[in-house]
Amino acid sequence: MRSSSFASLAVPATLLLGVAAIQAPQHRLTYRVEVLRATGAGRQSLAAGEVSGSVETGLRLSLRSDSTEVEALFAVFSETDTATLTAEFFSRRRVGRSRRGLPLWEQDGYTRIVQVAWGDTARVYPLGPPRRGAQDSIWVDLTVLRRPAGGEVRPAETLSLGTGPFEVALEAVVRPRRGVVVLTLVRGGAVSAPRRYDLIPDGAAKRVQLPVPGRLPRVLDVALSRPETPRSARDRTLALEADAVCLRVAEPDSLAPTGTVCGRLNNVARRLPLSGGDTLIATFAWPGAR
Amino acid sequence: MDEHTEWLRQIDAESDGELTLVEQAALARHLAGCTHCSGARASHLELRVALAQSAGAPQARLAPRPVIRARTVARWAVFALLAGVVAGWGLHAGWGGPGGGALEDVRAVIVVR
Repeated sequence: MRSSSFASLAVPATLLLGVAAIQAPQHRLTYRVEVLRATGAGRQSLAAGEVSGSVETGLRLSLRSDSTEVEALFAVFSETDTATLTAEFFSRRRVGRSRRGLPLWEQDGYTRIVQVAWGDTARVYPLGPPRRGAQDSIWVDLTVLRRPAGGEVRPAETLSLGTGPFEVALEAVVRPRRGVVVLTLVRGGAVSAPRRYDLIPDGAAKRVQLPVPGRLPRVLDVALSRPETPRSARDRTLALEADAVCLRVAEPDSLAPTGTVCGRLNNVARRLPLSGGDTLIATFAWPGAR
Repeated sequence: MDEHTEWLRQIDAESDGELTLVEQAALARHLAGCTHCSGARASHLELRVALAQSAGAPQARLAPRPVIRARTVARWAVFALLAGVVAGWGLHAGWGGPGGGALEDVRAVIVVR
């Protein structure tokens, strides 16, 4: 009795929360970054930039020199007034040379988590905390901001580079909620008109019909999925496959896929041979700007 | 073996104090009449004097035997240890290794201001 009355209240409450979430104002997340170096001669800005996008946007930051490489993937988990900033680090340091004269590298991966208020600046020492009395140190000032999106949540990157011993790169990391797939079928010398489909990764399969001039159309079931987790620790840590998707192609009502083609959302055409001598050309792209 | 060779051996034994009185007398009689062996004895004794002087004991009655001193051994041991450390350091720098210092000293840290 008690549980049924609770259930009767829980359903509308869940619906209300869902509606509130849908109607909640969208925010734009911004990572403001400045890479600084202090020496005995003073302070020098090595690079400054900004990465912004929807609240799921991550920041991939890399600093490289001849003997050290530090790469990190920053992500923010929003709370009401604060945010949890997580950073997955992957670093490589050259520790010497092998007996054959080749460089030997030491690599390391670890996670750092801190609580920040919106607008706070977190100081990241990528090479470790500065030693007491050391005049030379390098750090990254990272400010996390959240502002109303105003409908614009496309990722954006800006970076201005100074001079210094480190090569600095910033990159927005966004896992696509949807992906545009442009399909073309090649049969002999005939090519079908390109068909554009808006698919959701890990969503249901869609039946598509690709008409070839003068021939019977080819019917296929296509579904978008996320690629498998990378085997390399670096690729996994830095989410290098974040903007990659896989297209699974199957004959209608077939359980096993005929073929799978994977790629990044970068407008590059990829070919997949099908049974019967046909070739499917798939191009992955980001959905249009909103 | 000629006659002189045997007398030269006797001269050597005499310098080490290993001859009996009878043998010393026989040797003295031979040396009185043999210029070759008396010259060889003089050379032999001069060589022993030179060895004694180089060993720091010119007044010694017998030629000192070479002695390994504790100080010399310690000096060589320290030298070998230092050479090993320097060579090890060079090899470590050249060929790498597991890395020195604490791991956390080279890992990134985040400080919120």
